[in-house]
Amino acid sequence: MSDLAGAPAGGMAAIAFWIAAAVAVVAAIATVVSRRAIRSALFLLGNILAIAVMFALLDAHMLAALQVIVYAGAVVVLFVFVIMLMGTASESRGKGGRAPFARIVGGAALLWVGWVLVRSVARLAPEAALPEGFGTVHSMAQALFVDNVLTVEAVSVLLLVAIVGAMTIAKGRRAPAKPADSGAGASDA
Amino acid sequence: MITLGHYIALASVLFTIGALGFVLRRNVLIVLMSIELQLNAVNLVLVAANRFHPQNHVGQTTAFFTIAIAAAEAAVGLGIVVAYFRLRQSVHTDEADSLRH
Repeated sequence: MSDLAGAPAGGMAAIAFWIAAAVAVVAAIATVVSRRAIRSALFLLGNILAIAVMFALLDAHMLAALQVIVYAGAVVVLFVFVIMLMGTASESRGKGGRAPFARIVGGAALLWVGWVLVRSVARLAPEAALPEGFGTVHSMAQALFVDNVLTVEAVSVLLLVAIVGAMTIAKGRRAPAKPADSGAGASDA
Repeated sequence: MITLGHYIALASVLFTIGALGFVLRRNVLIVLMSIELQLNAVNLVLVAANRFHPQNHVGQTTAFFTIAIAAAEAAVGLGIVVAYFRLRQSVHTDEADSLRH
């Protein structure tokens, strides 16, 4: 059992939490505001690793490893491959934003939702004592492959279908020889 | 002392950043990355709630399935982006109007 995890006295776990939280928030903001997609992908990697640290602090050791393997190892690499495939076309042009009014209203609304959420949960229970084996590979395997084996099988089928579908979609077809829609683009739908 | 409220506050901040990126950005790659940010924030809530109610592994199991489905979503989403890019040589959501007419 990890002695770091959520130690009631704070100490090391609290310091690790605040560092990981700062990294996660800064990386998330940088992901969203970066002009170049490759920088966004690398900042997304930073966010994912900070979340993996959080999982480790929360005694979810197997999920922390999975987060690094699946997200940092597969999803971000997939993003980087696609960005590499597109080259400079993957960069954002110009300002390209919504109207300032829409930005302000959208941001204020979302921050308000977050604030209400925070206020409503501020008095939640402190952590409970950990049962033996919480979050280890053994207990997670018990939860997944004994209690939820049907869902695991459904997810494996879903992943297979997604891979085949992604290949089929990405093969796609080239742009049509005659640009039939370029003239009609001006007319309103 | 770090409570469940800390984790939920952090996750709602991360989710808000992701949602803002999803709404405001027009580069479809960054829109997809914003979706990943939001999924990560939700996973953080699930795992934190499970840590503070550790009688079973429901939260961690759900987060596990969310990770798997996020991977499938990224694969299909990037496949669509690649197909769209081959068609239009662009990654901007404003120009994705092929279904309008």
